[in-house]
Amino acid sequence: MRQEAYLGVDVGSISTKGVVIDGDNHILASAYIWTEGDPIGAVKRLIAQLDGQFDHDRFQIRATGTTGSARKLVGAVLGATVVKNEITAHAVGTTTFHPDVRTILEIGGQDSKIILLENGIAIDYAMNTLCAAGTGAFLSSQSRRLGIPVEDMGEVALKSAHPTHIAARCTVFAESDLVHKIQVGHTKEDIVAGLCQAVVGNYLNNVGKGKRIREPIVFQGGVSKNIGVVKAFEKALGEPVIVDENGHLMGAIGAAILARSGEARADFDFDIEDIDFVTREVICGRCPNRCEIICVYRDGRLIDSWGNRCENGEITVRQAQENSA
Amino acid sequence: MKADKKDKRKIAFPMIAHYNDAVRYFIEQGLGQTYVMQPAMTRRTMALGEKLSPDMVCTPFKTILGSMIEALEAGAEVLIMTMGYCRLGYYGELAESILREQGYDFDYVNFAEYTTGRPKDYLKAVKAICPHVRPAKAMGALRAALDMVKYIDEVECQYYMNCGFETEPGSFKAALKRFYRDMRTAKTRRDIEAGYENCLQTFERLPIDKGPNALKVGLIGEYFTVMDAFSNLDLEQALADMGVEVHRWMNVSHRNLDYPGEKNLHVRIKEYCRYEMGPTSTANIWKAKKYAEDGFDGIIHAKSAGCTPEIEIMPVIRNISEDYKIPVLFLTYDTQTATAGLMTRLEAFYDMIAMRKKVIQ
Repeated sequence: MRQEAYLGVDVGSISTKGVVIDGDNHILASAYIWTEGDPIGAVKRLIAQLDGQFDHDRFQIRATGTTGSARKLVGAVLGATVVKNEITAHAVGTTTFHPDVRTILEIGGQDSKIILLENGIAIDYAMNTLCAAGTGAFLSSQSRRLGIPVEDMGEVALKSAHPTHIAARCTVFAESDLVHKIQVGHTKEDIVAGLCQAVVGNYLNNVGKGKRIREPIVFQGGVSKNIGVVKAFEKALGEPVIVDENGHLMGAIGAAILARSGEARADFDFDIEDIDFVTREVICGRCPNRCEIICVYRDGRLIDSWGNRCENGEITVRQAQENSA
Repeated sequence: MKADKKDKRKIAFPMIAHYNDAVRYFIEQGLGQTYVMQPAMTRRTMALGEKLSPDMVCTPFKTILGSMIEALEAGAEVLIMTMGYCRLGYYGELAESILREQGYDFDYVNFAEYTTGRPKDYLKAVKAICPHVRPAKAMGALRAALDMVKYIDEVECQYYMNCGFETEPGSFKAALKRFYRDMRTAKTRRDIEAGYENCLQTFERLPIDKGPNALKVGLIGEYFTVMDAFSNLDLEQALADMGVEVHRWMNVSHRNLDYPGEKNLHVRIKEYCRYEMGPTSTANIWKAKKYAEDGFDGIIHAKSAGCTPEIEIMPVIRNISEDYKIPVLFLTYDTQTATAGLMTRLEAFYDMIAMRKKVIQ
C-alpha cells in the first residue's frame, strides 16, 4: 500500500510554485519556475519537474490544491480538489510551520498583502489595490534598467552604506526619480539599496497602513529572497523578520495542506504532459454587458468555463456535450 | 378631459438599484405621464458614462450619466435628476451641461434646484415635470410609490439574509424576480401590496437550512455603490452564495424615509467622532458599531473610488474594528468590471471569519 501524498500548486503572475507533501508536512518534491505569461505551459513544466523528484513506488497523490491568480484555470487543468485564494493558502501554510506568527508580510510579483494573526487564526488582512509599486514587478523592471539580475539585487544592496532616497509613492514617480538619481551620479549599490527601502516604504504606507505589526513577523513571497528588502524591513520595523527557507513555496504548501484537510479525493498521476489544454475567450452577445467567458478545453472537450455575470451567458459542460452530440 | 396619449411626456430617471419602478409608478399613476425605463446597467452604460465624465469624479456619476444616455436613446424627453448632500448635489448640473454639449435635446428637472426645505418647492418641481398635476391623485400615488420603496427594501433585506441557506437552489431568486416583476407591472396600490405580501409569504414558505451559528456580515458604505448590485459587482449575492447572512442597513427607506436624524445618531457614536463628516458617514459609523455590538462576524465597507466622505470614515471604522475585535474588509470600486480581484478578497475574508468563528466557539 502506497502512502498518501498531496500536491499543492501556486501559479502567480511571475512564478509558478509546486510542492508534494506527505501526511506530516514533509516536502517530498518541490519546484519553482517562471510563469512567463503561460500558466498552462508553466504548470506542465512544473509537473514534469515534480514527477522527476517524486517516489512513485512509495507514494500516491490523493488530492490536489491550487492557489494564486491562475488558480481557477490551473485547478481545471489539474482536476484540483481544492481551489483556494492565495491569502488563505499563505496563512494556512505559514501557521503550520510558525504556529506563533502574528504578522505575515507577503510581496509577490503583482500583488502584496499583509495578514495579521492571533493564536494561529487570521484576524485581519489587506491587499494592495491599484498600484504595483512595492511589488516584485517593480523590482524586476528596475533591475533590467540597472543591468543587475533581480536575483543579485539583495547582495548588491548590502554593499551600500548610504542608500539613496527614492520616492516610493508610485511606480511612475519612483522610476523617474531613479533615473534622475542615476544621472546625477549616485552609485549603483546606493540606488539598489534605495530601491529596497522604497519597496518597504511603499508597502508599509499602502498595504500596511493602519495595521499594527507585531512580532513574530514572517516575510515571504518572491521578494523575500531579496536580502536587501529583508534588511530594509528590519530597519523600518525595528523588529527581527523571519524568512523561512521555504517561504517562496508557502502558498503551494498551504494549498497542499488545504487539499489534505478537505474531504474530496482524486488521484493524480502526473499524466497531463501529453494532454492538449486550450483556452478560448467567448464574448457573450446576449446583452451589452459583453461578458468575456473563458472556456477550457482538454483534448478538444470543454471541461470548464467561467466569466459570465448572469445565467444568460452560462456555458455548462453538459450543454456543450449536448450541442456537439 | 383626459390627456391624449400623444400629449403625454416621456420621462426618465437615472438607474439606481431597483427603485426605478417606484419612480415609474409615481410618474404613470400619479402624474399620468409615460415613464421610459432604460435597460438594466451593463458595461456599455459604464463605458458611455466614463467616456464623457471627468476622470476623478466618483463612479456613480459615470453610471448615472451612462444610464441617462441610455434613457435618451430609449426615447426619453424629460430627465429627472435627484439632489444630494455631497458632490451628488452638483452632479445634476454637471450631467446636464455634458449632455447638452453632446447635442442631446431634452427637458431637465433637477431636484437640487428645488430643495430649499420648504414642501412648497417640491410641488414646484413636480409642476415642472407635469404642469397640470392633480394634487390629490399625485399625493396618493406618491404614498403608494414610497410604500413600494419600503417594500423593495424589506424584501431585499429578507432575501439577502436567507438566500444563502436555501435548500432548493434558485428558489429565493425566483421569488425575488417575481416580486420585481410585480412591482414593474403594478397599476394600483393593491397590486403593490399583493406583490409584496405574496413575496414575503413565499420567502416564509421556502425551506432553508441555516443552523444556529450562521456567519453574519454587515455591509456599510457609500450610498450608491453599496445599494446598487451592478456597481458593487453583486457583492451581496456573492457573499450570500458563500453561505453568509448578509445585512445591509443602508437603503432609501432607512436613510431617507425613516432616517432617525443626524443628531439622534450622533449621540450614539460620540466616543468615535465629534463632527458630521458627510451624508452617510454618521449612519455608517453608527451601524458599524451596532453590527460589532450585535456580535456580527465581519463588516464590509464598500465605496467608489474618490468618495471623500467615505474615505474619511475609514480610520473610525478601523478603531471600531480594533475595539470590538471585528474584522473589516474595505472595498473600493471603480469602473473595472472584472470580478477576480473582488472574489479573491471576499473568499479570503470568508475563510478568515469562518475559521475565527470555529475557534471562538
